[in-house]
Amino acid sequence: MKTVQPAEGETFDIELEENLLKENKSLADKNRILLDQNNIHAVDILGSIGSGKTTLTQKLIENLKGQYRTAAIAGDLTTTIDADRIKTAGAEVIQANTGKECHLDANLVKKALNELDLSKLDLLFIENVGNLICPGEFPLGAHQRMVVVSTTEGPYMIVKHPYILMESSVLAINKIDLAKIMEVDLKKLKEEALKIKPNIKVVFTNGRTGEGIPELIQALNLPKK
Amino acid sequence: MHEASIAQSIIKTVLEQAEQQNAVQIKSVEIEIGELTFLNREQVGFWVNLGFKDTIAEKASIHFREMKAVIHCKSCGYQGYLQVQEDPAYHLSLPQFKCPNCSKTDIEIIQGKETVIRRIQIMKP
Repeated sequence: MKTVQPAEGETFDIELEENLLKENKSLADKNRILLDQNNIHAVDILGSIGSGKTTLTQKLIENLKGQYRTAAIAGDLTTTIDADRIKTAGAEVIQANTGKECHLDANLVKKALNELDLSKLDLLFIENVGNLICPGEFPLGAHQRMVVVSTTEGPYMIVKHPYILMESSVLAINKIDLAKIMEVDLKKLKEEALKIKPNIKVVFTNGRTGEGIPELIQALNLPKK
Repeated sequence: MHEASIAQSIIKTVLEQAEQQNAVQIKSVEIEIGELTFLNREQVGFWVNLGFKDTIAEKASIHFREMKAVIHCKSCGYQGYLQVQEDPAYHLSLPQFKCPNCSKTDIEIIQGKETVIRRIQIMKP
């Protein structure tokens, strides 16, 4: 068997220290600067498909009407269903379609921000694509993150996805009216969340009826106007 | 499936760097994945291997290492690993986002959210 090998000095080590997520991070930082320059507070809303992100966003906008000038960015793979729904709550909405990507990224949010008249806004809700994993990786420039889990996702959502709570300040446990049917122990869900992140604010909500929305607004602790 | 987009940027970065150095072959690539990222190492590896096909990195060995999460406590000044409660019986690994020293929650994550290409080994003509 003939083999060839590099002679001494022919192989080189290149130290890189190249952070692969830095491009998104630097765009997110720019989004944050743009939002701050316009005195806009932005909330990134994360949750699985069907957890109730859009309904809660609608209800939040309705309840905050008159207090804040609000807009929303609705992230999805395709369609304008979510944006159309939020629009009925009375806010300007930009639909950000990712195509096939499972998360919003800072670049798409930047594009959406370009479509909004930022001088006329105080508050921005960014509804991420329904997914509890991938969006965690991509900061968008928002000031805070809110996570939505619902009782119809079963009793193990928190322990299965502990890392999504990492940088979230508020957890909405939604569809509480279905907890009994789904045999989900609400108290236990809350305890698990607090064990992972002791300072997260946990709110029980029912997006349909609006139950828990005032508490959710309080938990978000939005900057006073 | 955000592993595909991370893999794409690994492929692009490695090949660009190697080209800048006039490499004729890439022998190995070392990648560190932060404990707090949402990446599946095996999937990233699969996509990277696929992307290296028919390039000078085709035969490269790809090494992954985990980068532990490090936090800094603004209350007591603790700097060190994040506490993770493991329960192998249930394949459960629950992180606890509080200071393991003083239990306060005013902590800052200073390492573990990044994915870094540490080193590549190349051959020059």
